[in-house]
Amino acid sequence: MLPEYKEGDFVIINEIAFFLHHLKKDDVIVFHHPTYGFLIKIIDSVLPEVGFFVSGSHKNSLDSSKLGLIPISAVIGRVIWHIRKPSLRQ
Amino acid sequence: MIHSIFSSLDKKYNFSQAQAHCDVPCGIYDPAPAQIAALTVVRMLDLMAGLQGGDDKSKSEYHNSMSRYISVKEEHAEKAKHEIRVIWGDYFKKDKHPNVDELVQRIMQLGSKCRQTADREAGLAFVEAINEFAAIFWETKGVAIKRAKAPYAPSLEMVYPNL
Repeated sequence: MLPEYKEGDFVIINEIAFFLHHLKKDDVIVFHHPTYGFLIKIIDSVLPEVGFFVSGSHKNSLDSSKLGLIPISAVIGRVIWHIRKPSLRQ
Repeated sequence: MIHSIFSSLDKKYNFSQAQAHCDVPCGIYDPAPAQIAALTVVRMLDLMAGLQGGDDKSKSEYHNSMSRYISVKEEHAEKAKHEIRVIWGDYFKKDKHPNVDELVQRIMQLGSKCRQTADREAGLAFVEAINEFAAIFWETKGVAIKRAKAPYAPSLEMVYPNL
């Protein structure tokens, strides 16, 4: 399975704090990780008022086993629009 | 169309970037695992063709060896396809390498044919297509290549970086 998000894609994110406190499983978020920088991941599970465990859409992608719990304060926004880079495959 | 608009805006305003699906976010890519996997496919095809005892269907040794060769062939054809997909999806930029899509599609089809059949010609074409991919990859890195026979069976000509 190919990754959902590929290099060259654009995303529009919602940064409004209210919505960041109402994130749920399967939401796609952009967050900052102290080791890996800015990442886009899917929320696997929510720890209310604390943070999130995440995974990627690629089977080899970094997930929470390496990233740890993502605190709410690290979340930059929720992806609300994904603009894919055109490809001959489409 | 929309992507073009955002690309133009990106050039002007330099949007922030986020990594989405990095295997490891350090840019380590190399076609060598795909080349070795493709070579393994041809090796398995050769072992399958050379296996004795096929006429005697009761020989469990024959069936055991044949099933192992087929299993390894399957596994490595898929591994080669996977490695190529990762480099293609994560590394190559379409605007700089417009012909890679067609080559990757050919590699995917050849890999599938290697799984579906015992056709050595398909195996050779699979190796050569991945060599072609490796040559393009190293060119993007500014690394010269050399062609040399692999120092192990089936001793096919491979593309290596001339480091």
